[in-house]
Amino acid sequence: MRAPGRIARGLLTDPDRPVGFRFDGRSMQGLAGDTLAAALLANGQRLVARSFKYHRPRGIVTAGPEEPCALVDVIGVSGREPNRLATTLLLHEGLVAESQNRWPSLRFDVLAVNDLMGRFLPAGFYYKTFMAPGWAWERLYEPLIRRAAGLGRLEAIVGDHAAPAETVHDHADVLVVGAGTAGLAAAHRLGTSGLKVMLADQDVVLGGGSLLDARWSAWRESLCAGLAGLATVRCLPRTTVLGAYGHGVFGALETLSPPEAARFDGLRERLRIIRARRVVCATGALERLIAFPGNDLPGVMLAGAAHQYLRRYGVAVGRRPVFFLNSDEAYEAVFALSGAGIECAVVDVRESSLAAERARALGVEVHGGAVVEGAYGRDGVRAVRVVDVTGRARRELAADCLLMSGGYSPATTLASQLGARLTWQEAIAAFTADLAPAIGQMAGAARGVFGLAAAARDGESAARTLAAQLARPVGAADPGVDLPPDADVTPIAALWEVRGPAKAFVDLQNDVTAADVRLSCREGYEHVEHMKRFTTHGMATDQGRIGGLVGSAVLAQARGVPLWQVGQTRPRPFAQPVPFAALAGGEVREHYRPKRRLPLHDWHEAAGATFVSTGLWLRPLVYSPRQGWEAVLNEARAVRRSVGITDVSTLGKIDVQGPDAARFLDFIYASSFATLAVGRARYGIMLREDGMLLDDGTTSRLAPEHFLVTTTTANATATLEHMEFHLQAVWPRLDVLLTDVGDQWAQFAVAGPRSREVVAAVVAGLELSNEAFPFMAASVATIAGVAGRVFRISFSGELAYELAVPARHALAVWSAVLEAGKRFGIAPYGLDALNTLRIEKGHVTAAELNGNTSADDLGMQRMLKKHGDFIGRALSQRPGLTAPERLQLVGVRPLARAHRLRNGLQLVAPEARTTSLGYVTSSTPSVESDGWVGLALVAGGRRRLGQRLIGTSPVHDEAIEIEIVSPHMLDPENLRVRA
Amino acid sequence: MSAPDSLPMPRATPGIRLASCAVDIVEIAALHGRAPELENIAGARGLDLPVLGRVAVASGQLALGVRPARWLLLARPAHSGATAARWQAACGRAGAAVDLSSGLAAWRLAGPQVRDALARACRLDLDPQVFPAGSAAATVMAQVGVILAVLPSGLLLLTPTSTARHLRAWLASTAKPFGLVSEADVTVGVLSGDRAT
Amino acid sequence: MLRIPCPWCGERDETEFRYRGDASKVRPAADAGLAAFTAYVYERDNHCGWHLEWWLHVGGCRRLLKVVRHTLSHEIHAVGGPEDQLSPPPGLTR
Ligand SMILES: [Zn+2]
Repeated sequence: MRAPGRIARGLLTDPDRPVGFRFDGRSMQGLAGDTLAAALLANGQRLVARSFKYHRPRGIVTAGPEEPCALVDVIGVSGREPNRLATTLLLHEGLVAESQNRWPSLRFDVLAVNDLMGRFLPAGFYYKTFMAPGWAWERLYEPLIRRAAGLGRLEAIVGDHAAPAETVHDHADVLVVGAGTAGLAAAHRLGTSGLKVMLADQDVVLGGGSLLDARWSAWRESLCAGLAGLATVRCLPRTTVLGAYGHGVFGALETLSPPEAARFDGLRERLRIIRARRVVCATGALERLIAFPGNDLPGVMLAGAAHQYLRRYGVAVGRRPVFFLNSDEAYEAVFALSGAGIECAVVDVRESSLAAERARALGVEVHGGAVVEGAYGRDGVRAVRVVDVTGRARRELAADCLLMSGGYSPATTLASQLGARLTWQEAIAAFTADLAPAIGQMAGAARGVFGLAAAARDGESAARTLAAQLARPVGAADPGVDLPPDADVTPIAALWEVRGPAKAFVDLQNDVTAADVRLSCREGYEHVEHMKRFTTHGMATDQGRIGGLVGSAVLAQARGVPLWQVGQTRPRPFAQPVPFAALAGGEVREHYRPKRRLPLHDWHEAAGATFVSTGLWLRPLVYSPRQGWEAVLNEARAVRRSVGITDVSTLGKIDVQGPDAARFLDFIYASSFATLAVGRARYGIMLREDGMLLDDGTTSRLAPEHFLVTTTTANATATLEHMEFHLQAVWPRLDVLLTDVGDQWAQFAVAGPRSREVVAAVVAGLELSNEAFPFMAASVATIAGVAGRVFRISFSGELAYELAVPARHALAVWSAVLEAGKRFGIAPYGLDALNTLRIEKGHVTAAELNGNTSADDLGMQRMLKKHGDFIGRALSQRPGLTAPERLQLVGVRPLARAHRLRNGLQLVAPEARTTSLGYVTSSTPSVESDGWVGLALVAGGRRRLGQRLIGTSPVHDEAIEIEIVSPHMLDPENLRVRA
Repeated sequence: MSAPDSLPMPRATPGIRLASCAVDIVEIAALHGRAPELENIAGARGLDLPVLGRVAVASGQLALGVRPARWLLLARPAHSGATAARWQAACGRAGAAVDLSSGLAAWRLAGPQVRDALARACRLDLDPQVFPAGSAAATVMAQVGVILAVLPSGLLLLTPTSTARHLRAWLASTAKPFGLVSEADVTVGVLSGDRAT
Repeated sequence: MLRIPCPWCGERDETEFRYRGDASKVRPAADAGLAAFTAYVYERDNHCGWHLEWWLHVGGCRRLLKVVRHTLSHEIHAVGGPEDQLSPPPGLTR
């Protein structure tokens, strides 16, 4: 069955390939190549939406991404996707679309009562009426407004994007935006000059305005063939340049063609990040609306849109169109529709023009020197009232659509983002932009050069300028087809608004009327950017592209200043709605963040470890799939009683070499390293320049000019950067080499009273007695046949050794240690047990090194060197950093052994329960004694040893009595580590 | 511009072949003003250290320059730490040699669509006009550090071992439309185009 | 997005770099006193115009770069190493 509006064969549609789709539950048929808007118009569906604020009936206004009204929800397999533009959405079999912003149905919309209430809902209404009282916002106004306003509906859980997404990084000498005659000519000339060119156009085919003119097909085909033959040119149809981000970086969204989408596993859009040395903005010009009463009725469209629907899809938007226009360029649509046998009438504000004469010669009725005073009809245009510009003669024309054209505004969005200043051009009644030569060139209609041939020549000239700038000889090749000549034109007569009693819209998407703009001015919001905020004119998906200048003109008139003085609002990226999924690209789900895996990851997994993410690392938390503390305590108990082994390869490791290595470390660390003997390790703390703690760790001297620094897992990256920065910025004369060896070395802690026996069994060539290898000794050694390093350091508080071997030998060495420890019942222990052990010992980690603690807070004031400079020295001496009332590190225990502690538990005095004295930073059930133990930061904590406080967690409705104790809850004399 | 990335090869022909390389990796770094000495030391060992941004290929070994006065040397695997120890001894007081054999994973990527796939994460222009044979660079891909070098046998990629599996998984899913196959390990001899190996 | 021309690596995306602050601040001598260090750590102009700043190329050569950047236009006038004396373009102090 042929759709009623389909009157001809379209350039893009295939009459032999019908496509079935549904709109608001109704089954319809379109053709392959149609947009949803074209298919709806072909089926005579004029009403497609309700407006944002007044819920007025709305139809399709444009034929492209500038569409303000025809936004639909698309219902796909993965859910509802709002705000898709019917004018760019390609039809496909089985497409299901629904209109937006109506309830319960499009034809009968309850909130259309807002329209009748319109005089009580002026611009700025929300700001003023809902000012007070404060509580009302949350409970009353906001829910109300949210239900009434908004565009599409976002489902509560959108789920995964229907298709995968990807980002592609591109590089070009020149990015040409827009493939109309100017863009095509520019790209061709640049390409033949040997430059690497990307030509992006939002349309599915290249050609822009030339697609509408049959005289241009030979030229267009010749250029497209020429471009296809140039190895340095990449043509990207279906690609919208979304924004300019400075330094030659542009974002673009490419919509894949159906066959390509299938090849890419259902990929729908591809985000391209394009880096270009220069840009050619051949973005064309956008037709403007005219503000007159009823200019939002379904059936009121842009004249050029009607032209496009006819040429591209063979669809007549109406059978009795009335054109309302003010320029000769707009007559192209008149000639096309009239040539297709459609009876047209024209209302031209100008008394006479060359184009009007041509139209009359074709038998078209032209009302010169007249304007449309209003469009009328229920749910669609039925009649148009025309009045003489003198205001005397009136007549009514029957019409089923009103095709308006208020002139053409060069598309300067990208240029504005590139910092271009706008210049008013009286001859075309629009602003143009000029790019700095180092950025690129405007070309064609985007520069105000109208006419296809003139634009092509302008594109060519822009290309020559750029080729010369980029030091390329201009290519000699010509398309070989002459440019069809442009017709002579009579200049435009600016026309922005026809005032009348009813609403005349300047912004159809946000329901902003000319009267709203005047109100804004009266209220003092006179600057165009203030007017935008007051009225919402120019916001949302279409960024007011077809009415932006009209709003400025109304404002200028209200202010009594020329339009150029008012200017235009600055349009922001994106140029069209972009799905978040496309922005996220491939970095989602398992690729969202890199996961760092231990060299023994697979072993830990096979051993039944539960993993935990700490920073980017995946670490074994406990070697048990079960929740609960029992397995953790078993692992920790093995260390206290016999021996255990844990993987500490996540520690940051920095190799420091050079004649000034010791001096450098003395600057970096608050502790002294110059005095460290070769073969010894030392615990050190590092401050930021503001005097607060940055990191801690053990540093070993492997040779006089060779140190190995270890950092905490959490601060590994920051510490390396801190060292690199200070070496290069502050002490560049120091001859030091820093190398990140974090991934090179696997490191295991073998801890427990029996650890010496276990380590002795795997280490060759190293005497491990207390005398030969005391606490804090460090040495190279052969470990299970592998050249490695042994450190006698302890985080657990037990006799312990850390063994380091190159990561590729990790499994062999780990297995050898397990084998050697078998007779002592050695067991691997995870991060939870590691924490249990260190909390009992009072060792700190990132929970205590939280960026707000000073050395004194953690009881480390004595570690600060007395002599010599180091980072943070000066500011750490501020009295405030050692004030006795600061939060200081203490140990905490519940009085009742059955009570548990929680991290974050607030500590308060029994008599002042709403004043926090500090909080618990780390907590664990103890293996050394009954009950829980923890570390806490408490105001004046060291003076409170023995005090009883309340540990409270209001969110858990908990309050327990706790006792403040020394943080060194285990072996305060350090006898065990020295055993 | 090479084959358009929008037209992946049929899956029967792999667009990308990935092989791991078993190599020893040592980074040598010069102390202040002593890079020429390192160049002489390496030269005496049959390796001309390249300028920044280049890779030099010698018999059975490679040298990459992606940091000023530092070079990554790739050699046949030897007993653990032995290659680094040899270079440390050779560098003497002119610089330092640090073993990174376990710190960096080395892969070779070959095939007609390597550049197309890498353009999904790599922010560098790998067009042969811009990044021709013999080029080397350090950059970031899929949020992890990588070092790339264009060798006669394909593209060499070095990446930290702790995130190598992440990058490998990323590559596997990204390169799917192009066809990705894993090949048997290659030796540094294959990398350097040394047929005798 | 800034594209920073690293003297060692060539022009690279901003994402490869770590911003390290105002490069016109010089660390005072060890005995310069509290006021000098307070100024060094805390006192910054919120400057509209040319700004001398540190960028650490963590995703490339790991060298520290000194960059002259315009805080309004983001234009980069000069890039060098820590030892280079860089200054804004003449006559354009704003
Ligand atoms: Zn660099």
